[in-house]
Amino acid sequence: MASLTQTFMSLASLPNLVMVPGTRISHPSSVSLSIKEGRSFPSVTLQPRGCRFRFRCVAKPETVKKVCHIVKKQLALPEESSVTGESKFAALGADSLDTVEIVMGLEEEFGITVEEESAQTITTVQEAADMIDKLLETKA
Amino acid sequence: MGSSKVQRLSGMQKQVLSLYRGFLRAARSKSEEERCKIESIISQEFRRNAEDVDRKNFLYIEYLLRRGNKQLDQLKNPGTTGLSSLQLHYSHPSSKG
Repeated sequence: MASLTQTFMSLASLPNLVMVPGTRISHPSSVSLSIKEGRSFPSVTLQPRGCRFRFRCVAKPETVKKVCHIVKKQLALPEESSVTGESKFAALGADSLDTVEIVMGLEEEFGITVEEESAQTITTVQEAADMIDKLLETKA
Repeated sequence: MGSSKVQRLSGMQKQVLSLYRGFLRAARSKSEEERCKIESIISQEFRRNAEDVDRKNFLYIEYLLRRGNKQLDQLKNPGTTGLSSLQLHYSHPSSKG
């Protein structure tokens, strides 16, 4: 399965990734819906890593924070799960359909429209936040 | 041949994601209640096909894309208030799980 392979590849490229116990990993028999109920996760508190700037135009910290919140909501992740700017959607258990939903959710939250080709290139929280701030800047 | 196959898969995958986006956008223009129904049905349908359809069955995927685009056009019509008024007939009425 393509999404499963992508998940493994993403994990391999993130040797320092801290996996939250119970984090959902896609597998063929699973059905992924935006809203899940009756499901509990163990509480985990992790020390947040400092934000590392890798782009020339860097998104505001509050934008990254907002994106993390929406990603958690969209993927039905517990609020205390570790989602940072460096988090890859695939590593959080998102398949390509989930990623479409995340981008659509971000569009609504920030009142923007992400072009199709741009949307298909977004794979991390940071990339999403950078694009959002760029679009908001153009819009203003 | 290998690169050609990869290109076809990649192109088709983009078309599927584009169609999915289109449905989610169209759902926004409907009432809140209908929107929830639409999003739920669309999500289940896309995910079921993702599991059931052989990704190398290009002819069937193309058929599904054409059918999906027709349904999307209907949904975009302001007169269409929800999926109940669309003539949707799924190949597999019973859903897994």
